[in-house]
Parts: sequence; structure tokens; C-alpha cells
Amino acid sequence: MLPLEGVRVADFTWVWAGPYAAMVLATFGAEVIKVEGHKRPDMIRRGVTRWRVRDDPSAMEVTVVPSTGFHALNMSKKSVTLDMMTPEGRELARRLAAMCDVVMDNMRPGAMAALGLGYEDLRKLRPDIIVLSSSSHGQKGPCSKYEGFATIHQSIGGQSYLTGYPDDGPSPGPNDTDIMNATTTAFAIMAALYHRQQTGEGQFIDFSQCEGVTSLIGEFIIGYQMNGVIPERMGNAHPVYAPHNLYRCWGVDRWIAIEVHSDEEFARLARAMGKPELASDPRFATMEARKRNEAELDRIIEEWTRWQSPERLEDNLRQAGVTVAMSQDYRDLYADPHLRARGAFVTIDAPVMGQLELVGLPWKMSDCEPVFKPAPILGEHNEYVLKELLGLSQAEIEGLRKKEVIL
Amino acid sequence: MSGIVLSGVKVVEFATKVSGPYCGKLLGDLGADVIKIEPPEGDPARDWGPFPRTGPDKERSALFLYVNTSKRGITLDVEKAEGVELLKRLIQWADVLIDNHPPRYLEDLGLSWENISRLNPGLIYTSITPYGRTGPRANDDGDELTLVHAGGMGYLLPTRSEDISRPPVKMGGYAVGYYGALAAAVATMAALLGRRRSGKGQLIDISLQEVILAHVRGIAGARYHGVPWNRVPAAPPVMGRMQTSDGYILVAPFENHQWKAFVELMGNPEWLSGPEWDSMFYRGQHMFEVAPQIQEWMMQQKKEDLYHRGAQKGIPMGPINTVKDVLESQQYAARGYFVEVEHPVAGKYKYPGWPYQMSAAPARVSRPAPLLGQHNEEVLCSVLGYSKDEFQRLQKLGIVKRMTEGRR
Repeated sequence: MLPLEGVRVADFTWVWAGPYAAMVLATFGAEVIKVEGHKRPDMIRRGVTRWRVRDDPSAMEVTVVPSTGFHALNMSKKSVTLDMMTPEGRELARRLAAMCDVVMDNMRPGAMAALGLGYEDLRKLRPDIIVLSSSSHGQKGPCSKYEGFATIHQSIGGQSYLTGYPDDGPSPGPNDTDIMNATTTAFAIMAALYHRQQTGEGQFIDFSQCEGVTSLIGEFIIGYQMNGVIPERMGNAHPVYAPHNLYRCWGVDRWIAIEVHSDEEFARLARAMGKPELASDPRFATMEARKRNEAELDRIIEEWTRWQSPERLEDNLRQAGVTVAMSQDYRDLYADPHLRARGAFVTIDAPVMGQLELVGLPWKMSDCEPVFKPAPILGEHNEYVLKELLGLSQAEIEGLRKKEVIL
Repeated sequence: MSGIVLSGVKVVEFATKVSGPYCGKLLGDLGADVIKIEPPEGDPARDWGPFPRTGPDKERSALFLYVNTSKRGITLDVEKAEGVELLKRLIQWADVLIDNHPPRYLEDLGLSWENISRLNPGLIYTSITPYGRTGPRANDDGDELTLVHAGGMGYLLPTRSEDISRPPVKMGGYAVGYYGALAAAVATMAALLGRRRSGKGQLIDISLQEVILAHVRGIAGARYHGVPWNRVPAAPPVMGRMQTSDGYILVAPFENHQWKAFVELMGNPEWLSGPEWDSMFYRGQHMFEVAPQIQEWMMQQKKEDLYHRGAQKGIPMGPINTVKDVLESQQYAARGYFVEVEHPVAGKYKYPGWPYQMSAAPARVSRPAPLLGQHNEEVLCSVLGYSKDEFQRLQKLGIVKRMTEGRR
């Protein structure tokens, strides 16, 4: 039995950070119902073939069939369409929410309340409901209405400034912040479910995605107060370890990462390089010395790596007992024998596109086999939700369809 | 009636550095009773800093102080048989064991998963390792730099590189460790929920490589649709990260209404007056033609002022903040995000709080990070029921260490 079986979730989120969190709950067995307006569905649905037809503007249009990216964030959910601009749509959404244990959204603060779906409205319908509202800045405060997305949150929260070359500008990441915040969101919701199991009490969770970033750079926040020095970008350097860098390999844009954590490990690297004398060279014999002479050491290592294929070099250094990894691009990842052996990818049978191999979830649990089903077509579960859950008749459903409340 | 969510949940954290400890902090700050086990010389995070200007000090490392709040701490020498006995006693006491040693480490001490679950059938064993517990690389070492590249995120950094001949970089700070901690905490929470029904514990196998892979889940778009996948953007970047007169800012008016607001913000310049600019598709193809004009205008702005003026008009944007900017954020102050924590040696500082404000059961710091060996006697005598004499004998044997007198 999966840990969240019997838990029902109304998912009013869209784009990345909300949907991934709800997907995590779905793979743990929760029944997650994604609520979208068919006139303004999740924008990630668009772009099935966006890059293959660069001169075709229709590639920017939203389709009912999920895109690859939509699958990656919405597997194992159900989909219902409700036009929230209509009173009927809002009323149905309220009735659905009242049948759910968890209601989540990532709309602008105040938007759910304006639809009659705020925590105060919903707790009247269901006192033990858990409502999570995720937003850029949280529900209150002078900036609470400001909009943002992953790279903006990462920048406001302080992580982007710390990433990049020391001699060049800062760099946000590749939307990793949304996945991180979604993971944190799933944690908070499950903590609230645990609390409800213990006490019977529901609650409101006000989630700030900028704060989610800052919570992961606490050492810099405290360190600055200690010493007054604003931390800057360090490239690939570590405060203590050396060597600790990326080195050029043979090929086009091929690199290997080497990090050495002890003098013994450095001696192994030196032997593998055919230069065992480096380990006793006073410039490199201790961690402190290597740190002092890091640039010279990096030059010597790269002179050796640049003539070798990264795959071979990685294997050789692994066998020599050096901490190493080649910088993997998407082809390397899909081909990675270790990731394959661990089942890191999941295969779904997607409508129209056929079999897709997507990234799974990063936990393997001995007593919990996660559920991975394709993301739903827009409105795929309208009948189920309206008829079975809300008890509407076929005639009522047809009426709603005529009025374009549903798709 | 309100209460702290995880009160009554007992956690043993046999972990160092960032991933295991931050997972322990997440549970501890929500009320779990966390006992952290350190090697006699202390968690290496005690040596990494940042430190005050007075220099390295095991009780003043900002990293250690931050990721170890709300825990009691003991030192334990598991190289000695009696140390392993003590570890077993703690495992029997616990609901959750967090471990970020290599897969073989506990096995070599006689504590394979089979043996652990025999000792305590209800135990949730959260194991965090570089490459997971199975597969050809299970026993390989890895940390921040190698894992961010093995997992595929490093290849994309810095994200708007203009020069592919420069090497990729890692994420600043300890992203691998923190992201891993969050994944571990989610799985642990799910197992705790599951255990309330089944009464059974389970093994959670977290591979930090896969954690990073989960954060680049868009790779399917590269494989199936040919979406470019490297750190040089598909087209020369026009917006996104931009320079102002006093720092960097991110500006991203993709949608039509946001673009319209941005044009207004720039004072409706004549060079953007054509109706073709109303099309998102057209902008994608032609924005580069007006990049110099946009940049010129940006260089006349100040980042904080521009941020508020733009964001109030509904444009998604945000300054690239330094740590100092973050500490001075009015928004964070209004939400009471930072919490003051007083540590007996390091002193009082503002720590980041939690991005989730939970109305019924808010997180809190129940105690500052432990001094090295601070709770040796308390844990052995009060939690495990050793007598004072036994405790002193173990201390003489060096199984547990005398608490540091601190203050070097």
C-alpha cells in the first residue's frame, strides 16, 4: 500500500514548481486532480514540437495533448477543466475542493480568495483541510504581489550571485529552483498530513519560493554577519580542497571534474598521471600547499587530461581511487550505464508521441513502488470528476459543456 | 490544539557535511528529537566555515552552525567495538536513521540493512550516498563538484555563457548537498506516513547523482525535440540577466501583457512602436535587433528601483542579490523570515527560517547546533540508560570524547 493512498489533492498549480510537487504526491499514491481552465490551461502543455518547427508560430499554441515537458511534471494525475471565470466553474471548484484533503495553488496571492477558494472559504466547507499557497514572495509583505519564476527566485534569494566564474557575471541555474521548491513544498504538505493524522487538525501553508532559495545558503548568510565579507563567485573552487576543478578533455566541449579530498587521494591521482613525484613536490604535498598553488596544479593536470577521452579517463581515475566524473550532457545521461542499472528513467506510453523515457524521482524505497502514468490529456477525467465525485447527471454535464464551463 | 508536527519522532543522524545534516535539521526544526553522531574529531563541516575574522574554529563554522540546529550532539568512535554497540543501541531507540556514509561503511561494521531491520523492524533507514546503494558505481566517492556534473546540471552552467571554450562551473555553495537533503526529507516523510499504517520501516536509497538529474528533468525535450542542451543559449540572449548601473537584474517579460508593461516602463520608445512587436513569436525571432537599445536603457537604471517599478507593473523581474542584499530585504523582514539563534560559543546571528509558514504547527529552532560532544553524557545516561560509571568508563576508553572546552 502506498503511503498517500486515500489522500485526495486538488491541484490548482501550473508551470513547474507547483505541478512537480503535486506529481510527487501522486506517485506516492495520492489521487491528484489537476484543475485547469481550458481557455487558459497550463502553459507547459504547449510546445510539443517547438524546436523542430522554428518558423511555425502554431508551435507556441497550447494543445490538449500533453507536451514532453508537461509529462515530465504531471505524471500520474487526473485532469478536469473548469472555467473559473464563470460562477458555475467556481462553484464546482469549491465543491471539488471540499472533497479533497489537500488544495494547492501557485497563483498570485489573493487570487484563490477572489475565486472563493481561499483557506478561510474552504475550511468552512471542510474544517480539517490542508491548503498550500505557493508564491514568489509569500502571501503578505510589500512585494507579495510581484510575479516571478525559477531564475528570478534564485536571484532574489541569493544563489545566482554565487554561481559563475569569479571574473564574470552571476548565473542562475537551469530552472532547478522550481524543482527544489516543489520538493520542499511536497515535504511541507506531507508534514501537514502527518500533523493531521496525529491531531485531526488541518492548516494553511504560506510558501515563499524566494525564501526557499535563501534557506539553502544559510552558511553564507551567517558567515557574512560574522566577518562582514560579501561572498563572491568561486567558479569550481572549494574553500579547502584542491585540486577541485573541471579539466578539458579531447573532443568538442568535453570536460572532466576532479575533486581531491586528501593527500592520499592526491598521491593516487599523481600516480595515475604518471607523475608520482607531484605528491612529494613541496608545492603540492599538502592540501594547504595545493590550495596555494592551485592555478599551477590545474595547468599541469589539464596538460595531461586534454589529450584523453573523458569516458576512458573517468574509468581509469575511478579505478585508481580518485573522485571523478565527466561533465555529462543529455546523451551521456541517457546512456549512463549506472543510471540505467538503477532504473533512474521511467517509460510511459504517451498519447500521440508514443513511448517516452523520462526522468523518474530521486528516491528508491524498499516498501514503496511509485506510480508513473502519462500526464492527462486536457479534461481527460471530466466525466469521472463531475459524475462520480460531484454526482452530476449526464444532462447537467452536457449543459456545462454547451456553456463552455468545461471542455 | 496546535503542536509541533514531528514531536515524538526519534531520529539518529549518523552523517556529516551537508546532505544528511540538513535532512536532520528539516526534521528537527519540525519537532523531531534528533541525536547527531559525530566522529571524535568532529564533522568536517566544522572546518569549512565561513568563519569570523578570528579564523577557523570548530565551534564557529557558519555551515555547521546552520545545518545542525535543533539537534543534540554526541561524538562516537565507531572504529572501536564498544562504539558500534552504542550505535546499535541508538538504532534500536530511533524511528529514523539518517546516514550519508558510503554504502559499505555500516555494512563493514556489521550493520547491513538486514541486520539493521532485525535490530529495529520499524526503523526508517534514510541512506544518502553519491551514486546510490546499487549499480556499478555504488562504491564510488563523489561530492559537490563531481556530482553536479555526473547528474547533468553542471554541463549547463553558467547558463548564459558566450564562450564555449571556458569550462562549465558548479552551482555556488552546496546545492548537491541541500537538494539531496530535501529529497531525503520528502522520502522520509512519506515513509513516516506509510509507517503509521503498516507499522513497517523501510530502506530509502537516495543517490545524489539522481537528485541532480531530477532537477534537469527537461532533458527529454533535448532527446525528443532537439532542444539545445548546453550552456550557450540557442539564440544570443537579449533579456534575462541584464546589467544596470549598479548591479545585475533578471528581466523576463515573455507573455504579451508583460512585454507591453515593459515597453511602457521604458517610456514607449519609438523603436518598439511597430505592431509586429505584439507577437510573442516575432519577438523570439527579432529581439536581438533591439538588444543594444534595451541594454543602453538598462544601464541608466538602478537595480533596486527598477525592480520595484517593473514588478509593480506585473513584469516578472528580480535583482541578482548579494548576501548583504538578501539580509536587508524588506520583504523578508515583513514576513519575519530570519530567526535569531544564539549559540553559546559562536554568539547570536540571524539564520534563514523556513519558506513554509505553517499555521497550525510552525517550524522553529529548538536549540542551536551542538558543541562537539555536548550531549555525550545526557544521551548515554538519560536516553540509553547507561550508568554514570559506565559512561565514565566509555569516556576513558575514548569511545565518546570529553566535550570540547571550546574557545581556542
